[in-house]
Order: sequence, then C-alpha cells, then structure tokens
Amino acid sequence: MIENSFNRRDFLKVLGWGGATVALSGCGNTSVEDGREYVTSYVETADYIIPSIGTYFNSTCAQCDAGCGIMGRVREGRVLKLEGNPDSPINSGKMCGLGQAGVQAHYNPDRVREPLLRNGDKGEAITWEKALQLVNEKVASANPGSVAFLTGGVSGHVKVLLKNYLDAIGSDRHYVYEAVAPSVVRAANKKAYGVEMPRLRLDRAKVVVSFGADFLGTWVSPVHFSRQYAKFRKGVNGERGVLVQVESKMTITGANADRWLAIRPGTEGILALGLINALIAAGLTVPAEVAAAVKDYTLDRVSNDTGVSVEHIGKLTALLKDRSPSLVIAGGAAEGYAHGSQNAAAVALLNQVLGNVGKTVEAPASMPFPQMAPITGNRSSLQALNDSIAKDEVKVLFNCGANPVYSAPASMNMKESLKKVPFKVAFAHYMDETAMEADLVLPLNSSMEDWGTVVPEYFAEGAQLNIQQPLMEKLHPGTLGMGDVLLALLKQRRPAEYNGYEDYYAYLKNAMVAIKGALGGENEDDDVFWDSVLSQGVVKLTSSSNALVSSASAAGLQLPPPAAEDGTYPLRLIPAVTPNMRDGRHANEPWLQESPDPLTTIVWDSWVEMHPKTAAKLGVVEGDIVEVASKNGAIKGQVYVFSGIHPDVISVPLGYGHEAMGRYSKGVGANAFKILDPVFDQQTGELAMYETRVKVTKAGKRVIVVKDEGPAGGNQSGRRIALRMASGKVNLAEEV
Amino acid sequence: MYRFLRLSVLLVGLIAAVGSVAVHAAQPLTTADDLGPVVDQPIEFPHDRHAGDAAKGGMQINCMYCHTYARRSNVAGIPPLQKCIGCHRSIESVRETPRIKKLFEYWEAKKPVPWKKVHDLPDFVRFNHERHIQRFVFAQEKPVQEACGYCHGDIKTMTVARRQKPLSMGWCVSCHQKDHPVSATSTKTTHGPNDCWQCHK
Amino acid sequence: MSITNLLQNWSDFRQQHPSDERPHQEYKWAMSIDLDLCTGCNACSVACYAENNLPAVGKEKFSHGHSHHWLRIERYWHNEDREYADQGAQFLPMMCQQCEAAPCETVCPVGATNHTADGLNSQVYNRCVGSRYCNANCPYKARYFNWYDYPTTADVWPAPMEQQLNPDVTVRGKGVMEKCTFCVQRLTVAKSNARTEGRSVQDGEVQTACQQACPTGAISFGNLIDPESRVAKQWEKQQVKLNHDKQAKDAVHDGDKLRGYRILENLRTYPSVMYLEQLREGAI
Repeated sequence: MIENSFNRRDFLKVLGWGGATVALSGCGNTSVEDGREYVTSYVETADYIIPSIGTYFNSTCAQCDAGCGIMGRVREGRVLKLEGNPDSPINSGKMCGLGQAGVQAHYNPDRVREPLLRNGDKGEAITWEKALQLVNEKVASANPGSVAFLTGGVSGHVKVLLKNYLDAIGSDRHYVYEAVAPSVVRAANKKAYGVEMPRLRLDRAKVVVSFGADFLGTWVSPVHFSRQYAKFRKGVNGERGVLVQVESKMTITGANADRWLAIRPGTEGILALGLINALIAAGLTVPAEVAAAVKDYTLDRVSNDTGVSVEHIGKLTALLKDRSPSLVIAGGAAEGYAHGSQNAAAVALLNQVLGNVGKTVEAPASMPFPQMAPITGNRSSLQALNDSIAKDEVKVLFNCGANPVYSAPASMNMKESLKKVPFKVAFAHYMDETAMEADLVLPLNSSMEDWGTVVPEYFAEGAQLNIQQPLMEKLHPGTLGMGDVLLALLKQRRPAEYNGYEDYYAYLKNAMVAIKGALGGENEDDDVFWDSVLSQGVVKLTSSSNALVSSASAAGLQLPPPAAEDGTYPLRLIPAVTPNMRDGRHANEPWLQESPDPLTTIVWDSWVEMHPKTAAKLGVVEGDIVEVASKNGAIKGQVYVFSGIHPDVISVPLGYGHEAMGRYSKGVGANAFKILDPVFDQQTGELAMYETRVKVTKAGKRVIVVKDEGPAGGNQSGRRIALRMASGKVNLAEEV
Repeated sequence: MYRFLRLSVLLVGLIAAVGSVAVHAAQPLTTADDLGPVVDQPIEFPHDRHAGDAAKGGMQINCMYCHTYARRSNVAGIPPLQKCIGCHRSIESVRETPRIKKLFEYWEAKKPVPWKKVHDLPDFVRFNHERHIQRFVFAQEKPVQEACGYCHGDIKTMTVARRQKPLSMGWCVSCHQKDHPVSATSTKTTHGPNDCWQCHK
Repeated sequence: MSITNLLQNWSDFRQQHPSDERPHQEYKWAMSIDLDLCTGCNACSVACYAENNLPAVGKEKFSHGHSHHWLRIERYWHNEDREYADQGAQFLPMMCQQCEAAPCETVCPVGATNHTADGLNSQVYNRCVGSRYCNANCPYKARYFNWYDYPTTADVWPAPMEQQLNPDVTVRGKGVMEKCTFCVQRLTVAKSNARTEGRSVQDGEVQTACQQACPTGAISFGNLIDPESRVAKQWEKQQVKLNHDKQAKDAVHDGDKLRGYRILENLRTYPSVMYLEQLREGAI
C-alpha cells in the first residue's frame, strides 16, 4: 500500500500512459516483428510504481449500499482486481461476489460514453458544454417548484452539493427511491428502538432467529454480517451459535440455518407473539400489558395459523429461554405484507422481552456530520413523485441512480407517467429502461474512476466516512462524475460561491481539509492529511451513541388472522431478492449472470420456484414453462421444483427481464417487479412485496433448466462428499 | 503369411521411426548469437555513449541506473522520461543536438516517448529479472554489464538495443542446465527450471 | 519419447508425493475449508474469475455442460424425503485438490500436468494437446476444457473488458485444459520476494483469491510444512495426514469428534485440501 505522499497531478500521471489509450497487444501471441508489443513508457513516475508489480489503492465499493472498503490492484494504469480493505470495519478486508464484479461494471462495453440528446427515437451525441447549457435553460425557464430530482440513496458530499443545488434553484423536490429496501423494518425499528438501524451484534448472540432477514445474502450489510456470522458460529468458549430462519421461501441465510421453518406467508407476527406466550409459560417475565396482549396466542392456535409444528415451537422456545443473549430480527419476508409493520413490531417485541436490547441490539454510532448522513429510499417517495407528475407539477426531472421504469410495478405506469414530464435528464451508466425514456442522457463515471465520499447507512463499529478515489484514469473521456456535474450546475446558479473550485476534486479536498480537525488531523499539514485520508480509504469518526430507548410494549399491535385463499389467484408470489441480481442494477455484469443462484444453481435466466406439492397440483415438472399471472400482469418462466418453499407460495427472482441496459441483461429472464399488486403496508405506505396473488398455468414447451447442479442434482448418492455432524459432538474451543 | 509380414514390417518401421525420433529429440542446445530484427526507436538512443567505456568516450553508466527495476521486478523497465531529463537539463553541450531537442519536445508536451519493444517473450512465459540480478550481481558479485550481457549481449557496442540471443526456451534451459541436468521427459518432482510452472504461467 | 524413457518413467508416474527420496522441502501448499462457515455466497468463485481470466461462457455453453469455473460451489441437500429442506443446504467449494498422487498426472499423453516441488499439480498450456484424459480421470471433475477460443468469441471480452485481464495469468486459447492453480502467480511473487529477503514466505503473506474474498473466512491456505501456519495447525489438530489414505483417527471411536476430512480419500489421491464437516444443532 501507499506510504509516500503524492499530489493529484502526479497521481493521475503515474497511473500511466493514458488508461484509455493503452493499446494492448492482442490476446494471441504477438511478437516484436508484429509491431504490436509495447513497453510501458512513462513521463514521470512515483517511486512506488514499479512495472509488473501491482500497486493497491483504497476506495469504496459502490455495487450496493453497504459501503465496504476496497483495494484496487492497479498495474500499468489500469485496475485489474478488487480486494477488500482490511482497515474498513465494515468488511475487514473481505469482499462479496457483487463487489468483485465492480470491475465489470467499470469495463462494461455497454456503458454510455457521451452525452446523448433525444432526436425522435435516437440519441445524438452532444458536448457536455451544450448539454449543461441546455439543462441551464430548461431549469431557468421552469417554475422552481417544478424541478425535481429522483435519486437512489445518497450520502457524503454529493448529497451536500445536491441539496445546495436544489436550494439554489428554489426547489425542494428530492425523491429518494429504492426498489428493494428494508423500509418497513426501518420504521418498525424506529418505533421499537428509537433508531432506524440499530447495531446488531450477531457475534455476541448465542441464538439468532431471523424472520426472513437474509443477512448473509442481501440484507443491509451482508459482508459485515458474514464476518459476524463466522464469529457467531465459533461461539464463545466453543458454544456454537444456533441460527433459526423463519420464512416462506428459503434464502441463502435460510440455507445455512440449523433449522429452517417454513411458515405460512404473512403469519410471522403470529409466530412471534406465540413464542412470547410460550416463553411466559416457560417462566420468562414480561410486562403485564404484553402478557395480556399475547395470551390468546396458544401453541395450538399458533401452530394452526402458521403451519409451524408444535414440536418446533416448543424447541424454539426452549432454545430462546436457555441461551441468552439471543437476537431476533425481521426482514423482507416479515415486512412484505399489508400488515408488515405489525409483523415487524411483533418480532421487535419478542426481541425486547428476551432482554436482548443492550446486549445484541445496540445503539448505532451517530454521524457527526448529519449533512453527509445517507438519505435512504423507499417506494412511497416514488409514489409521491408519480402523484405530482399526474398533477402536471413536474416540468424538469433529473434521475440518478434509480430505474423506476424497470422496477416500479406496472400499476404505477411509470413509462406513461414520465411522458408527461416535458424535460427529463438521466444520469446513467447504461441505457437502462429509464434512460431510454429520457430527453437527455448524461454519462457517469464508474465508481472506479470517481472521487467521492460515502457514508453507509449501517455502521459496523463507530461512524465512518468512506473515501472513493479513482483507481485509474477515465476509460471514456466523455463521462463525468456526479459531483463534477453538480458542481457545474451550481456554478451556473451560484458562480461567486463555486467558481473558485476547478473541479469536484478540488471541492472535495477543500471540504475535507476544512473539517480535518474533526477527522483526527488537526495538527497535520493540509496535504499530508489529505494524502493520509486517501491512503487509508476510510476515515473513522469520533462519535457518540445514545443508549437505545426500548420499552417493550404491545400497544397498537394488531395482527390479522392468516389470509384467506383467493379462488382465482390461489398462490402467493414472493419476488425474491437474490445475492447476485438484487434489484437488477447489475444484470449486465456477466460474472453475476454466470454465478449460479446459491439455492437453485440456475444461471442466465429467471425461474418459477415451487414446492413439489404445488407442482403436483399444477401438474408441472421442472422445466415446464408456466405463466404467472396477477391482476396486474403476467410473466413466463421455467419451473423449478424445490422443497425450500411453502406450498402456498411460488417465487420468482427479481432483477431479470431487462428490456434495455446491455447485451448481457436484455431479454434474460422475466421481470417480476411488473406484476406486483398495488398493496401497501398500512402504516408506512410501502409496497407490500409479498402480497401479490397469482395463478400459475402451463404455458409452453418444457425446457431443460440450465443450472450448475451437476449430474447428481444435489444428491451425494451415498458418497461421503459433503459431510455434516451434530454440533454437540465437537468441541469448537479446541479447534484452531 | 503376407498379413504377418506386413504387420512385422509395420511394427519394425514404427519402432525404427520412434527410435530415430528419439535420437533427434535431443536437439543441440545453443548459446550462439541469434540477432533479432533491427528495431527503429523514435529516438536513436546511443547506449554506447551512455554505457560505454570511458576510453571510447562513454560514460560507463551502470545499466541499472536507468533500467532500475531489474533488481526488484519481473521487468527491467524503460526509464521514465524524467530520468533522461534529470541529467540532460544540465548538459548544455548537447542541448541543441537533434536527438536531445526531440527528447525535450516530448518532455515539454508531457508525452511519453513511444519506445518499441526489443526483447519480447511470449505472453505465457514468466521471466523474472529480479531473481537473475539478485543471483549474478548481488550474490555472485558479477559486474553489472557482464550479468546483463549474458542475455542482452554487449550493449555498449550498440546505439539502440538489438536482440543478440535467441531468448528461446532451449537457450534459457541451457544455462540452467550447467549445474543441474534438465530432463525433457521427466515427470518427477522438480526444482527450479525443471518445474514447468516456474516459467509457464 | 523413446521406449526406454517411457519404461523408466512409468514407475515414476504412479509414485506418490512426497516420498522419502523426494520430500517436500521448503513449501507444501495446502488448504482447509470450514464447511460450517461456508455460506454458499459464491464470492470465492467470482473472485477466481477475476483473478484468473476466466471467461463467462453464457447460457448456451453452460447448458452443454461447458461451465468454466475453476472453483464451483456444490450444493447438497439432506432432506431424506422430509416435506421441507428444513436443515438447510450444504455448500461445498470444490476446486482442484492438488492431489499428491494425482490421477490426472499419470494419464496425460504429453506430460502437460506434473507435480511441482512445492506440492502443486501444474498444468502447462503449451504442452497440452487437448486429449481431455486428465479430466476423465479426475474423481473431483475439477478440470475444465476450452472447447472454444474464448478470447475471440463474441461478448466474452468485448472491448474494453479485456483491460481487466490479469497479465500474470495466461489467457487460454482453444484446446487446452485448465484448472485451479492455488493462484500460483501469487505464490511465485511471494516466494520471489521472500527469496530476495533471504527468508521463507510467512503465514498469511500470500493469500489465494478465493481465500482473500471469502466473507466468513472459511478458507485457510498456507504452507503445510511450516508448523506455525494456520493450515498446518488445522491439519494437525484434525489429525489428517497428507500421505495417508485412511486416517488413524477414523478407526478410533473418539475420532468422530474431529471434523476434518478429505473428499474421496479412499481413492488414494492424497488431496491437499481438507474440509471441516458442517455442523447442525441438535436442540432445534
């Protein structure tokens, strides 16, 4: 890693002989005679740049919102591979597959390379100067209140500049949209613990009961939770942690559970209250009001309602009673219903009466710079934007980091709705579905080429500020960073304030140096401080955290009985979030398409997952093409029979079925977002992702499902390949 | 009977062929010179002037002053432009000569000199300069020009470099064979150059 | 290749390494994978793609069985006909086991696969003629054949994706076998650096790409000869000996408390990868 200081001009120079213009010799064996062999030739170079030896630069991964620190291995001016930054408390040097694919997002052949202005059905290349001028005109001529920004989650200095720009133009329309986000859980946590994302200590728990929170795969900060999970399994004094997963469709976390409990969809809250009742019977003391609220949740009733056997409820109760502290969390499965908030509240209540608050649930560190703290997104925000558009209130719309035309349910009619906005600007990496509807597409730098600061929503230990620095020169001269664009736009509005900054880098360095006192560098020279910040990649902030407020109360808790079946639409659809595809933003990275889904091992396609009983009822086998139809649309997919799913549900993964974006994503699989029913959580107004009712009918010829199961189909056939033993037999404390 | 005869002839012929192939399989390993193509460089850099003996007007600069990475990397490296300028900005006597003027043009424009490759190995070969320099120059204390010259020839007689040796696998192996025999067909546990993976990526 | 040579080498072919005549001297690279920690996330597999220039072959070729991942995650169920897979799955990272008596080494007609001094099974692309006998013989099916010329196949490395390729690893053309190398390119660099400094490679100084990525740290890698290395300590603790095909501990009743094992050990391949059995809690 870097130990010497250097300034930015040297930095970019030493990165090499023009990243974009390095012409590589062909993949075959060329020779001197061909004239296609090159030597690396520099003008000036730092002494730590040694040809054929990689130099590592720290930055921050932008593939999801967890904000893991990364180190990029850079050779001859190009980034080759990413590793985790050992100094980041979030991921401690580890990386997930999504993060590894960051280089494919960067080198992607389908990236937009220059600003495009709509002319009929085509996009014509224009200069940035013209593009920004056009933006200026449109914004100036519009009523300030009619200019809107639609973004994904934002944090750091880009958030500051965005807010400043909105202030400068006199608009407060900033809509933050995340297609897949733990919004209901955030709200429930706020009610129960006083904070949206308390700090969870899986590594301190002896038992973790997760109601559908896929913390090893996709939930909140999977790499960080995986680190904790490793400690959890090793346990304290060799007492291995026990994981129980309760959900209607198995996630990768469920696949790692000691016990996976299939639960009737929507009844997670009932089970939680039933467990409280059983715990009271086993001797646990709870506030009288809580006891009164749960007294009707008897074993038989709960077992009947949820489908979880009395035996398992009993064993789970005993486990929670005997092994303390535990940790009970709610995730996607629990929150995806019209009563999702109630489910989440019941689960939080269980966690509280077990006395876990202060032991495995702690207050998160607070962000000492709230202006940089992340704004998180949800669907209600998109709905609000849609409503405003319907009332003709939005004349200019900027879109960055959100793809609503792809991920909003068909009932929102985003594509039609957007047509009502006279001028739409999309900041994009790809010509995705939303960019295709725009009037002006402005190409962004990839995260490997950009400067920035990122504040993650979930702090691992204390508060931290993640640094993003370019790992190489821009691949395409026509792209710009979001920070640079915002700065240019701000210069149009507030020249006196911003003209002093040559570019976003200058602004960022200035802003960081200005607060160096709070970042631990008060006695340091500005440049030395800045270089050390870049070198570390993560700045740990001193922050305080208030103790968690947590009073177990069942007030307002009202769980509906298990939902009745709908005759026409007998099955429920669970749109699954898979570790590789997430909300579909990485569908154009071939490594991720080729990386088999951990549960089904299917590649390069989506599927319709169902229980053998359901398949038998429908008369389908693996590979049959079926149509999954809800009231709001229909998609087709190949059947995959799987016993890790409740017979009342089927599951289709999200993230597939792109109609645009790029060569690896277009036409691959089906888009499950589209057919979601417009049912909303009663308390937060969030889209209830698991409330969609569907019917499934055979629709086509059988295909061979392309998967990576191997010829034995996940069966060891008596050979001792993957072995398993009872945890009681082993003394983990004696292991290395 | 004729079938038997034909079969025997076939077998005898086969064995003879295999035998003769075996004889020719052990090809002579050469350390003879094998000149590579003349490679025209953007600036005709005079190695003789820089590395040559003082008696002939050279400055006897150590190879590794410029090709500085040889002792610590796979590649010896071409010096960055700043290395040339480092000296030449103070050498008034040649400042206006055509090659130096060209050099400074690159420097002013901050453009790297597009040097062409002279010594090339195929992409599937891993050759490590560091190990060779560490052994010959640092461990065995051979003079630098002699050590570099084993493979690159007598550079101080040239202006721009030109490949002097075959740089083929057989040629490399011939040197490695001096102390330890290398067997072309052995599949035994191997060390150093007998280990295919030492050099083949 | 004369008859004398063949006869001379035949007795060497099926010789197990290490042996008394040729013990491992400075390094013997080995791995241990804790299956109780492996979550099946596939991070290791994607990291391997990134490090070793693996092509993403696409759906059609995948459907023909031409998947091309040196490290694959095998997923097994233990349902025993229960209604649900209610004890989860078992994920097993499977790669070339770098067997000490590799069945692939003995059958290559051209000697493209050999055993290195530090205990790796080498694959030399230049010698390989593509008979594919090695994979036929491999009980782990850990070898992959380049059925196509991926560098020139459309959409495998379209510009500028080829800039991501690792220059330390050959980009393979059509007709050669390839497999996990324990990131030999990293090992070579580490050994060279150590040699320059006059020492051996320290434990933790070199990591394979899969080990470095794994979020739970399920993979341990290192020098089995170094008694201080994590991997050596694990093998020692689990009483798994490299050059035994039956472990003494398996014959003892108490031995079932040790969860280290090697896959298909009874085939006498002497693999260099030890797995630690997955655990499941009995109380639930």
